[in-house]
Amino acid sequence: MYELKSVHKRYGLAKVALRKIELTVQDREFLVIYGPAGAGKSTLLNILAGITRPTSGDVLRNGVSILRVPPEKRDAAMAFENYALYSHLSVGENLAFPLKARGLGRAEVEERVSRISGILGISHLLERRPGFLSGGQRQRVALGRAIIRPADIYLLDEPVGHLDAKLRHKIRAELKALAEDLSATVVFTTTSSREALALGDRVAVLNAGKLEQIGVPADLYHRPANAFVASFVGDPPMSFISVEPRRQGDRVEFVTADGMPVAALAAEAVSNLREEAGSKIQVGFRSNEVRIAEEGDSNALRGRVDVIENLGYMKIALVGIGGDQVSVSVPAGTRLGVGETVAIAFPRDAVHLFQNARAVTHAVPSPGV
Amino acid sequence: MLQRDSSFAREALRYGLIVLVLGFIVFPIAWMIITSFKPPEDVMVSPPRFLFTPTLENYVHAIYDKNFLFYIKNTLFISVTSTVIVIIAGSLAAYSFARYNVGDGHLLFFILSTKMFPAIAVILPYFLIFRDVGKTGVGRFLGIGLDQPGALIISYTVFNLPFAIWLLVSFFQDIPRELEHSARLDGLSRLQVLAKVVCPLAAPGIAVTGVFTLIFSWNEFLFAYILTRKVASTVTVGVESFFTLQGILWGPVAAAATISVLPMLVFVLAMQRYMVRGLTFGAVRG
Repeated sequence: MYELKSVHKRYGLAKVALRKIELTVQDREFLVIYGPAGAGKSTLLNILAGITRPTSGDVLRNGVSILRVPPEKRDAAMAFENYALYSHLSVGENLAFPLKARGLGRAEVEERVSRISGILGISHLLERRPGFLSGGQRQRVALGRAIIRPADIYLLDEPVGHLDAKLRHKIRAELKALAEDLSATVVFTTTSSREALALGDRVAVLNAGKLEQIGVPADLYHRPANAFVASFVGDPPMSFISVEPRRQGDRVEFVTADGMPVAALAAEAVSNLREEAGSKIQVGFRSNEVRIAEEGDSNALRGRVDVIENLGYMKIALVGIGGDQVSVSVPAGTRLGVGETVAIAFPRDAVHLFQNARAVTHAVPSPGV
Repeated sequence: MLQRDSSFAREALRYGLIVLVLGFIVFPIAWMIITSFKPPEDVMVSPPRFLFTPTLENYVHAIYDKNFLFYIKNTLFISVTSTVIVIIAGSLAAYSFARYNVGDGHLLFFILSTKMFPAIAVILPYFLIFRDVGKTGVGRFLGIGLDQPGALIISYTVFNLPFAIWLLVSFFQDIPRELEHSARLDGLSRLQVLAKVVCPLAAPGIAVTGVFTLIFSWNEFLFAYILTRKVASTVTVGVESFFTLQGILWGPVAAAATISVLPMLVFVLAMQRYMVRGLTFGAVRG
C-alpha cells in the first residue's frame, strides 16, 4: 500500500504542480489518475517512482516513508509518456534491460521477452532500433519494458495515448486482464474519460495540481463532488442550467432566469444549500437523464439544436437553452436538424445540484419523467 | 538536348571546384610525402622535379641517425595519457554541467574564458612552476619537472579540458533525462546509468572530443619546445631538431613529418565509425 501524505510539489517559485495531495494506492488496485494535460499526473507518478522529490509532504509504503529510497531500490516499473527508450539498443535489448539489470538468466530473459512482445504484437520488431519504429510501436515497446518484470507497483504514464483507436482498445483490454492475472498494483494516467471509467478500480480526478475527487467509476459518474468532475468525467460531459431556488412549502423549486421551472426537490434534500446572495446555483444532467419532450410532458424547456454528433449507435444533440447548452442522447434513428427548435423534458426530481461549483445533492435518477 | 548540356556544364563545374579545393588541401601533403622519397640533390632544385629515383635514405636518416621513433614514443605516451585524462575529467564535468547546471552557466563560461588568452602568455609562469615543482620530491616522483613527460601531460590537459567540456556538454544535454530515470527504475545505480546508458549515447561526442584533443596534443609545439630539452621531447620538437646549424635537412624533415602524420591518420580513420550523429534518435516522442 502506498500513501501520499499532504504531498506538495512546486517548481521554481511560482509553478505549483501538486497541491497537498492525500492519496492511497491499495494493494492489487488498478488506480487511474485522470486529468487534463498539465494537471500534475506525471509529477505524481514521478514522485511515486522516486524520480521527483516532493517539496513537502511524505510518501509511505506499507506505513514506512520511502522519500529517501532511490528509484532503483523502490521496485517500481514505469512506462514513460514520451517512451524514454534506449535508442542505442534494439527493441529486444530494451525489453530485456530491466531483467538483465536484475541479473536474470538468459533463458528466462528470452522467454519473457518473447511472451511480452507477443502480447504487444511487436515480435517481428525485436531486432530493430527504436529510431526505426512508428510512434505506436515505440509506445508498445515502452509499455512492454515496464510490464515485463514483476514489480511492487506499475506506473503507467498515458501508455496507450498514442496508439490508434483499434490498437488502444485491444491493448487496454490486455492490460486490464494482465493486471488481474498478476494481481498487480497499477497506477495509470490518462486524459480519456472513457479509459478512466473502463479501467479503474478507482479513479482519482486531478486538476491543476489539486485532487478533485477519488472514488469508484460509478461514484464519479453519478455523484461528482463538484462541477469540474461532473463536466470532465463521462462522455458527453454533464450539462448545466443556471437556476434560482424558490421555496414552496416543504419543497424547493428551481427555476431559470426566465422563471421556467426545471426541477423541484424536497427541502431536506437540499438542506445544505446555503442562502447567500450572488451564489451560482446550477442543475446538472447527464445526457441520458433528459430526453426530447413528447406531447403532454409538463416539465419541458424549449431550445435550439446547435450541434448534432452522430456516434453511430446513437446521436448526441447539443441544445441551447437560454445561455446554457444541454446535451441530450437521442436514438440513432431520430430525425433532427441543426437549427431546429425542440423541447427538452427534464426529470423534475432526478437532478444533480451544484452551488458555486460544489455538489449540493445528487437526487437518485428515477425512471420516467 | 539543351538540358543535357546545362547539366553537363554544371557537373563539370562541380568537379572542377572539387578538384580545386582538393588540390589546395592535398597538395602540401603530397609535396611532403613526395619530398620524403627524394634523394638530397633533388629536394631543393628549381623547377621542382617530379620524376626522380625514389629512395628511403631520408627515412633511414630520420629513424636511425636522429632516432625519430623515440619522439613518436614520447608523443604517443604524452598525448594519449593527456587525452584519456581529458575525456574522463571532461565527461564527468560536462555531465554535471548538463544535468545539474552547476554554477548557473557562469562557471561554464568562465571555464571557456581560460581559452581566450594565447598560450605564449602563460608559458613563462608554466616554465617557472614546472622548474620549481620538478625539484621537489613529489615532482620528481610524478615526473612533472622540466623536460619530463608529466609537465606536458598537465599542460595539455589544462589547455584542452575547457574546450572538451564545452564540446561534451551539448552532447550530454541531447540525452533525454527520462532515459536516465527509466534506467534507474529498471534497477541501475547512478554510476551504472552513466556507464550503460549515458556514455553509450554520448559515444559520438566522446569520440569527436577524443579526436580533437589527441590531435591538439600531438601537433602542439610551443609548450613542448619550451618545457622539454631531450628526454620528453615530442615529434614537433623532433622535426625542429633537423633545422641544424649546417642547414635544414629538408629530406629527413619530410620523412619525419610523414611518419608523424601516420598514427593520427590511422586513429582518426578508426574513430570515424563512432563519429555519427543522432544516436538518441527514437528515444523519446519528438
